[in-house]
Amino acid sequence: MSIEIEGLTKHYGSTRAIDGIDLAFGDAVKVLALIGPSGGGKSTLLRLLGGLETSDSGSVRIDGAAVPRDEEGQRAWRRRNGFLFQSFNLFPHLTALENIVLPLVEAHGWTRDAARARAREVVERFGMGDHLAKRPAELSGGQQQRIALARAMAHGPALLLLDEPTSALDPERKAEVLDLVEELCRAGQRTVLSTHEMGFARGSADAVVFLSAGKVVESGTAEEVFGAPKSETVKAFLGKVMRW
Amino acid sequence: MWKTTLSVFVSVVLLATFSFVVWVVASHDYRWEALAPYWKNLLSGWGTTLLISVLALVLSVLVGVLLTAGQLSGHRLPAFLCRVYVEFIRGTPLLTQILIGYYLVADAVGWHSRFGVGLVVLSCFSGAYLSEIFRGGIESVPASQWLSARAIGLTGAQTYRFVVVPQAVRRVLPASAGQFANLIKDSSLLFVISVHEFTMQAREANANTYATFEAYLPLIVGYFLLTFPISLLSRRLERRYRYEH
Repeated sequence: MSIEIEGLTKHYGSTRAIDGIDLAFGDAVKVLALIGPSGGGKSTLLRLLGGLETSDSGSVRIDGAAVPRDEEGQRAWRRRNGFLFQSFNLFPHLTALENIVLPLVEAHGWTRDAARARAREVVERFGMGDHLAKRPAELSGGQQQRIALARAMAHGPALLLLDEPTSALDPERKAEVLDLVEELCRAGQRTVLSTHEMGFARGSADAVVFLSAGKVVESGTAEEVFGAPKSETVKAFLGKVMRW
Repeated sequence: MWKTTLSVFVSVVLLATFSFVVWVVASHDYRWEALAPYWKNLLSGWGTTLLISVLALVLSVLVGVLLTAGQLSGHRLPAFLCRVYVEFIRGTPLLTQILIGYYLVADAVGWHSRFGVGLVVLSCFSGAYLSEIFRGGIESVPASQWLSARAIGLTGAQTYRFVVVPQAVRRVLPASAGQFANLIKDSSLLFVISVHEFTMQAREANANTYATFEAYLPLIVGYFLLTFPISLLSRRLERRYRYEH
C-alpha cells in the first residue's frame, strides 16, 4: 500500500488536531501503526485516511487515489475500507449476525442469503460461531470487538483502520483481539492502526508514526522508532510507557 | 430499611386514599333511571370519541414526525419555524386553538365540518408534543452509533432507518403512550365547537336531567377503556424492543 500525505491539516475550532503533516510510505508497508500521546492526532489522522472527516487543507492519496472531499465520494471510500473504534461499534438492537449482515446488504448490495453465509464464515474464522444470535449486551467487551472486527472485514476491505481497538478492554480481552488483528496482518490485510500497545506496534507494524500535538515527531520502521528514537519527545514517551 | 419503610408508607397512603374515594363514590345516592333516555347518546358520543381519537392519533404522529424532521433537518429556516410552532402550540390553551381554528381559520376557507376541523386542530396540538418526544428520542441515540453507521457506509436515510429509529422507538414509547392518552382526553374540549363526542353528550345529559354524577361517571369508564389499552400496548412494545440487559 502506498500512502502519500501532503500538507494535511484539520482544525476543530482553535484546536489543531492535525497540523501540517507530510508522510510517504511505499508498497512495502502493509501495516502502519500510529503511536503517541492521547490527543496527539492519531484518531483524527485515521478518520481522515478513512474518509470519516474532511481535511481543511492538504491531500491524502492511498495507492495513488485521493481521498474524496465530497460526502458521496467519501461514502464510497468508507465502503471500500473497514473501521473499528475503541468501543460501541455494534448496534445494540441487532444480533451479532445482523450487525454484520446490515452493511453487506444495505451498503454493498449483497443478497441477504449471501450476506448471512459470508457473516457466518468470517465469524467462524474468528472463533465466534456460537455467538451469532446474541445481542451486543450479551457479549463481553472482547467478543464485541471481535464481532465488530468481523463486520469491518466481511466485505474484504482495501484498508482496515483500527482506532485504539483494545483501549477499552482488560488485558486478557486485549490479547484476544490483538491476536486476531495480528493474524489478519500476517495474512496480508493492509492495516493502519492507532494504538497504545507498544509491544504490538513494535512486533507487527512495518512502519510506525509518532504523532504529538498534530505533528509527526518521528516516523520510520518499527526498529528505527522503538530501537533508536531520535527525538527527545519520543524517547521520553517510550521511556515512560515501556517502563511498566 | 428506609426503602421498606417508604414502600410501606406509600402503599398504605395509596390504599387508604383509594378505598376512601371508592367508598365515597359508591355510597352516593344515584338516580340512574334519570339517565336512561341518554344511554344511546352517550354510546354514540363514545363512538365519536373513539373515531376521532384513532384518526387524531395517526394524524398527530404524522405531524410530529414532520415537525421533528424540520427541527433536525439542519436547515435553519425550517428548524426555526418548527421550533416556533412547537413552542407556540404547547404554550397556548387548546380551547382557544379550537375556537380560532373553527370559527376563524376554517370559516375563512369555507370549511364547516366540526368533526374535520376538530380532528385537525387536535392533531396539530398533539403533534407538537409528540415532536418534542420524538426529537428527544432521536437525540438520545449516542454519537458513537451515528459514527459507526457512517463508518460502515450507510447513507443518512439508511442510518435513520436501520440504526437510529429502531433505537429511538423504544425510548419514546412510554412518553408517546402518555401523550396519546392525553390526546384522547383532550378531545373532550371539542365540545366548544359542538362536536358530539363523549363529554359533550354527558354535558347534555346533565343539563337536561341535573343528574350530574350519573351523567359524568360513565366518562370514567369510557375514557379508561380507550386509554388503558394504549398503556398495555406500549408496555408490550417496550418489552419487544428491549435489548439492553
